[in-house]
Amino acid sequence: MAAVSSGVERPVESEPEVLSAGHRIARHGKATPYLFLAPFLVLFAVFIVAPAVYGIWISLHDYDFLLPNKPWVGLANYQDLFSPGGRDAGDFWQAMKATGIFTVLSVPLLMVVPLAVALLLNRSFPGRTFFRAVFFTPYVLGVAVVGLLWRYLLDPNIGLVNSYLDQLGIHRNLPWTTDLPWAWVSLVGMTVWWTLGFNAIIYLAGLQDIPPDLYEAAEVDGAGRWQQFLHVTLPGLRPVLLFVLTVTILNSANMFGQSFLVTKGAPGNETRTAIMLIAETGMRSFRMGTAAAMSYVLAVVLLLVSLLNFRLFRIRGESS
Amino acid sequence: MTDFDTSLFLSRRRFLALSGGAGAAALLAACGGTSSPVTAQAPAGGNGGSAYSGPNVSLAFWNGFTGGDGTYIKKIVDDFNKATPNVKVTMNVYQWADFFQKVPAAVASGNGPDVGAMHVDDIPTNAARNIIVPIDDVAQALKLSEADFSPIVWQGGVYKDKRYGIPLDSHSLGLYYNKAVLQKAGLDPEKPPQTGDDYLAALEQIKGKAGVQGHWMTPFPFTGTFQFESLLWQFGGELFDDGITKATFDSDAGVQALTWLRSLVTKGYSPANVGQDADYIALKNGRNAFNWNGIWQINDLAGISGLQWGAAPIPKVGTQNAVWANSHQFVVMRQTRPDQNKQAAARYFINYVSQQSLEWAKSGKIPARKSVLESAQFKALAPEAQFAKQVDYVHFPPQAPGIADALALVDTAVNQAILGKKQPADALSAAAAQATKVVQDNAKKYGG
Amino acid sequence: MRSRSSLLGRSGFWIAVALLTVVFVAPLLWMLSTSLKTNPDATRQPPSWIPDPFTTSGYQPLTNLTSQTPVVRWFLNSILAASGNAALIVVTAALAAYALARLDFPGKRFFFGLIVGTLFIPAFLFLVPNYLIIAKFGWLDSLWALILPSAGGAFGVFFLRQVFLSLPRELEEAALLDGANQFQIFTRVVVPLARPALATLIVLSFLTNWNDFLWPVYVLFSPSNFTLPAGLSILQGAYTTNYPVIMAGAVVASVPVIVLFIAAQRHVVESVARSGLKG
Repeated sequence: MAAVSSGVERPVESEPEVLSAGHRIARHGKATPYLFLAPFLVLFAVFIVAPAVYGIWISLHDYDFLLPNKPWVGLANYQDLFSPGGRDAGDFWQAMKATGIFTVLSVPLLMVVPLAVALLLNRSFPGRTFFRAVFFTPYVLGVAVVGLLWRYLLDPNIGLVNSYLDQLGIHRNLPWTTDLPWAWVSLVGMTVWWTLGFNAIIYLAGLQDIPPDLYEAAEVDGAGRWQQFLHVTLPGLRPVLLFVLTVTILNSANMFGQSFLVTKGAPGNETRTAIMLIAETGMRSFRMGTAAAMSYVLAVVLLLVSLLNFRLFRIRGESS
Repeated sequence: MTDFDTSLFLSRRRFLALSGGAGAAALLAACGGTSSPVTAQAPAGGNGGSAYSGPNVSLAFWNGFTGGDGTYIKKIVDDFNKATPNVKVTMNVYQWADFFQKVPAAVASGNGPDVGAMHVDDIPTNAARNIIVPIDDVAQALKLSEADFSPIVWQGGVYKDKRYGIPLDSHSLGLYYNKAVLQKAGLDPEKPPQTGDDYLAALEQIKGKAGVQGHWMTPFPFTGTFQFESLLWQFGGELFDDGITKATFDSDAGVQALTWLRSLVTKGYSPANVGQDADYIALKNGRNAFNWNGIWQINDLAGISGLQWGAAPIPKVGTQNAVWANSHQFVVMRQTRPDQNKQAAARYFINYVSQQSLEWAKSGKIPARKSVLESAQFKALAPEAQFAKQVDYVHFPPQAPGIADALALVDTAVNQAILGKKQPADALSAAAAQATKVVQDNAKKYGG
Repeated sequence: MRSRSSLLGRSGFWIAVALLTVVFVAPLLWMLSTSLKTNPDATRQPPSWIPDPFTTSGYQPLTNLTSQTPVVRWFLNSILAASGNAALIVVTAALAAYALARLDFPGKRFFFGLIVGTLFIPAFLFLVPNYLIIAKFGWLDSLWALILPSAGGAFGVFFLRQVFLSLPRELEEAALLDGANQFQIFTRVVVPLARPALATLIVLSFLTNWNDFLWPVYVLFSPSNFTLPAGLSILQGAYTTNYPVIMAGAVVASVPVIVLFIAAQRHVVESVARSGLKG
């Protein structure tokens, strides 16, 4: 464990004393601000700063925490991930691909469907609060309950979904949890069901922040429903859309519970996500050096995606 | 363990109302106020557990007996607790996959159990990682020797010349069949097919006459991998070479074995996407005729009223008889704060249970001890005795530290081939190439 | 948007709402129905919505507190962990945010930059090192493992600093003239003014902790210490095909949450809504 000092060393440069209006008295002693900061800084140092550094250290070793010797291997754990035919390269990139597929499939749906639901709820009608709560309920149940429930509903042989499809004469025994593309349909579908309410509520708040007179002005200009949506609603929601997009991408890239509970990574390892592989490698095989290296590679990829995101939004914002 | 969190045992209607609080006991054990600090993990007591007369202690016993066998182990533990007032054993049951995710970490962090049960292929890994401790003294106290056991079961408990496991049983794969389905197809329900050709012919007849897909082929480790391994050995193959330096399950024998299993799907004797345990449920519901499953299912089937079922050795599909088997062994966990009394009590508990082999056999296991195996009482347990016929040609998984990571790749290959994602040969060669890297890494890491 | 009150539009609207409601409610009712069935009945084809025979045996392995699957206990553990975590976050973040928003001190920019710089680091990066850190402290297999690590996260500080900056300063100035010290100003002036924001942070932290799955599954070992996510995943393992028991576990895990949610619905929804507008 890296020794955790109480906070971080004080930088030498101090800020220029800016006296804002109304500061005429010594407001507090020198130590006071640090006392306010201290509790958080301890947690921050121990659980954010230290692990970030420690993780790099781990990734440079063949680190099995149950074995006495943890040999230094330099960048070998990283090289292994980038050399074709490396022990973990195949698994890792397949898992990255799985995470990518899941993200690409789920993010658009999690952007669009909740928006549709929010538009539906964005009017006053009896029972609105009730319906809003209904759509949010799966999110408060948590992924464990949702995973257990859908594992059962989607069971190829005894699940409710297949038996209804069967009764409707549509199809017999679709392999919802064991074959592609069905497994992805299941995982994405249940994720939408689980988290739709969360995004919908954020959209709803955004919609209610759009001034009504903008719609009135648009209507005076003869804009129809659809044009109002395009020229008033969407631009008004831009910051909210960016926020939802960022959070949804991060959450999708973090996907673990759904695969872990519902498909167990099957068929083969096709639905084993990157997080699942990292957890298996680090916490089940105890090959923590490799797992840490995988985490850093995934984090860098995510960072690039996030940056791209902001850029795209900015460009789009400037052009509109 | 495996990539998939699959369950070794099916649950049943009779639930295990387990005596609980074991977690708390484990915690208490970890922070045991009475523990006398001992610097090294000294073998306790000195009597190897033939008796325990120390102060009251509680022991946490974790295992993976989630199926019908759980009922029996619980009975044995209850009997022990009644007979031994100064030792209280609390039991926790996990699915094996969860067990091997939690136990090493729990032991290393001082929150682990005192006693556990493991398979022979898990022993080297956990011995090398210092999760379990040598218990040669227990074997001596029990006056156990190789003569009492089948050699493989006896040797399975040893790692680097030290004994870590006391054999409890051996358990193999067997052929279960639904007599009603066989009758419907016009087959003799007392003569299940015992060769590969007869087996396929029977499946064809069952498909035609009874309209039933007769061998649901599961793509999951339980028991898809065990079926593959059995056939690999039947065709004369091996999982790894002698020194476990190279994976060899992609040999011709392996390809033949996996191709044969996949053909059950392509010929329509099995649905294409069998869910976890759906093969077994279908057998019980009469939608499946044959199921190669662990002998631990005996009690579950016996508990279903009106179900007409039979048990037999698995058919000889390849060139020789062979069947997958494994053995449960008792192990003693390392304690971060060694407590002499606990260690002595743990040994006494193992000693006690080891002598209850016959009770254990009723849970659908082949007892480890020859004396019990040859007893009239055991022979009276009909299905178990059927499976015991296979005893001379059982094959066990290879033993080497870290082998689980390599065996997990076999699971993946079987899964891909049975689901038709890859040709058997391709699935096996990709998995074998990676498995070879894994065993070579392990050899480096654990020093051979 | 003002709705056009055409009959067609209105009935289309209600059909959409009804369909959505069915999609959201039916699975939950199925969960409840299955939990009251026998196992053969739960796997029967075609499935029926009414348990026949009706039985509560699925709940037996769960409700007994000394059993190995004490779902009620897991539930309490989950509540404890999520509440403890939310409380820790709101207290430490509020104190730190106050210093960053209202006090002057050397290194302020540096600290703020450092904290905000970690805002977008995904949590999985810390999975392995935090596991080892928690192990060093001896907190594996205890609720501390769930309460502490995420309290180091930057979101709370960032969020509350924004809130505090937007508060009017007059009251604080007045308190200062009355001779109050900074801590008194913080507790008596700022905290009451920021109460809705603090409630928001509590709700969001609680929900995040409640919904976390990966971490509890790997840091908890003993059934008595499990939270719901860790416990339910073990439950699925142990009762693979016993759907009544698994669904009973899900019901026991869900009902109190739904009740709590209904009670605090307004707060929860507003909190989530607010989080988006700060983005």
